[in-house]
Amino acid sequence: MKIRKILIANRGEIAVRIMKTAKKMKILTVAVRTAAEPDAMYLSFADEIYDNTDDNSEIPVFLDIEKIIAIALKTGADALHPGYGFLAENAYFAQKCLDNKIIFIGPSPDAIYKMGNKTIARKLAIQNGIPLAMGSEGNIGDEEEALTVAEKIGYPVIIKAASGGGGRGMRIVRDPSEMIKMFPIARREAEKAFKDPSVFIEKYIENPKHIEFQILGDKKGNIIHLGERECSIQRKHQKLLEEAPSCALDNALRKKMGNMAVRIARAVKYYSAGTVEFLLDSDKNFYFMEMNTRIQVEHPVTELVTGIDLIEKQIRIAGGESLNLKQEDIRIKGWAIECRINAEDVQSGFAPSPGRIEKMSMPDYPCVRVDTGVREGSVIVANYDSMIAKLIISGKDRKEAITRCKMALDKVWIKGAKTTLPFFRLLVRNQNFQNGNFTTAFIEKDLDQYYYNSEYEEMLAAWLATKLFIEENLQSNSINVDFSDGKEMSPWLLNKRINQF
Amino acid sequence: MNDKLHISRLFALSSDNRKYSFSVPLKNKIRIGKRDYTVQLKSDDKYGTYILWKNRRYPLEVVRSRQNKYEILFNDISYIFTVETPFSLQRMKVINTRKGKPGLASVKAPMPGKLLDVLVREGAPILRGEPLVILEAMKMQNEIQSPVNGTILKIHARPNTNVMKDDVLVEIKAD
Repeated sequence: MKIRKILIANRGEIAVRIMKTAKKMKILTVAVRTAAEPDAMYLSFADEIYDNTDDNSEIPVFLDIEKIIAIALKTGADALHPGYGFLAENAYFAQKCLDNKIIFIGPSPDAIYKMGNKTIARKLAIQNGIPLAMGSEGNIGDEEEALTVAEKIGYPVIIKAASGGGGRGMRIVRDPSEMIKMFPIARREAEKAFKDPSVFIEKYIENPKHIEFQILGDKKGNIIHLGERECSIQRKHQKLLEEAPSCALDNALRKKMGNMAVRIARAVKYYSAGTVEFLLDSDKNFYFMEMNTRIQVEHPVTELVTGIDLIEKQIRIAGGESLNLKQEDIRIKGWAIECRINAEDVQSGFAPSPGRIEKMSMPDYPCVRVDTGVREGSVIVANYDSMIAKLIISGKDRKEAITRCKMALDKVWIKGAKTTLPFFRLLVRNQNFQNGNFTTAFIEKDLDQYYYNSEYEEMLAAWLATKLFIEENLQSNSINVDFSDGKEMSPWLLNKRINQF
Repeated sequence: MNDKLHISRLFALSSDNRKYSFSVPLKNKIRIGKRDYTVQLKSDDKYGTYILWKNRRYPLEVVRSRQNKYEILFNDISYIFTVETPFSLQRMKVINTRKGKPGLASVKAPMPGKLLDVLVREGAPILRGEPLVILEAMKMQNEIQSPVNGTILKIHARPNTNVMKDDVLVEIKAD
């Protein structure tokens, strides 16, 4: 069935990203305007806007299954793209779409359910001979069982929520006394976060690399992989920088891991785009972690090295088309790096730093792709994630990509919120990073500072502070503004003061 | 200010006590080695306010200022300076030698968020690195750990409440 009109059940950069491809394919799009960000950038990419600003419900509309279905039916959308996050991996929602004759642009509800439940996913992996980190066979009921299982596996172990994902509901436990303390907490957290207190225990692999494989499958049973992504640069399980390919893999290992990824996808008759995540230890042993049944934030790096538009493939597959690609058609060419520029304060432990984006300009080079849902005047609201933009750089090899990345980072201009830019400026200059010598523990263990400033930057800031002080205190012709109560200085005021000089 | 005519030099002190000295009136040239480089404070529609230095633009914002204290965001990094005259600098040195309260550690919230759990009791002994509270911020659960060995003196944190950045969560009497 040919898709004519897609409801975008998402916001921000991924909504923009999907609509760009839909436009290219001459498919109409519907976006939802919300009270939280009524002037958001993604709205200007839609052919049609559904106004939901009078909805004063506490949960965001993008999480409201009944409401989203109703909007799809009302606007006559014959398909729905969930993006990532929100309802993207909700099997019940995917089924609801099908029940209402709306094409869900993603995998089957069955595949979402099985891969979303970590206990089932683990069983499937075992049945299919996929290597797994040693762990409990099913969920763990109480502390006593937890202690027995952990003893058998050997510490350190990790407690994971059966319904969790993306780093949520995980606790590392290093000895029995910690287990007694942490087990009830982990269950309580799982209950609170996922309405399911089930947890299981797994061997904790110390300092691994996070390697994931991009999967594409169609409804006729063709499944291939599009190579790997290196996602080891993460903090508290939140990815910050991703690359494709990974310098930790050679062709033989790539083939072996890729085959395993395809095999686990086949076990749930997977179609659409999906990602199989592995941990790779220092001896190049790899362990299946989970499968994400959606498009990922970091999908652009794969697109840049394969030349394949993953959103387009998702839409075509959802419409019933064949994949038209064989494994041997996939060629990995060059290197791509993605930096997630988030509104976070790297000087305060990556704390969220919401704000209004006053100025924004991005480097304009053929080797730089920018995926963003933010423009000048946009407000980074606390309701949603803190992403401002994804800066995606390509080069003929890793070295060139890093060099270009360094250059591009200096050209990004964002005012109004603190960002992760200084972190990436540090990272691209780090020797271990440049040499590919890093694991998921890199940020916590190898860095003693999370930002880069060049030699003279503090001095220039000091010069500015001194200039302001002189103007306020020592000059008779300065404007008399009372700053003594510590209120913030508005940009227009600062401008006015500067222009006096 | 009465003494403005007498000031020929100002010092900008960074929060970790690096001292930058500038002559008054302030020049827009800074000497590095044997060369002078021009600093220009500029502003336009595309970039807003910025400093031009060695052919490169640096974004800046004055986040807040209070008396002689300035928080400046320069190229995405915050700096806090106090600007001191030679006299106030001398006075500060005297005060600083009297400050400090040893043996007491206040554990503050590193970021705004929601307290999920408090794992300690008042009066209980605690070791450095042991978890005190679980703080959820954005999507992440953060374990806030004790910075010292000692005894829990007071717990300000309550489960299921929201905290601001720098709110004191737990006070510990260090051993």
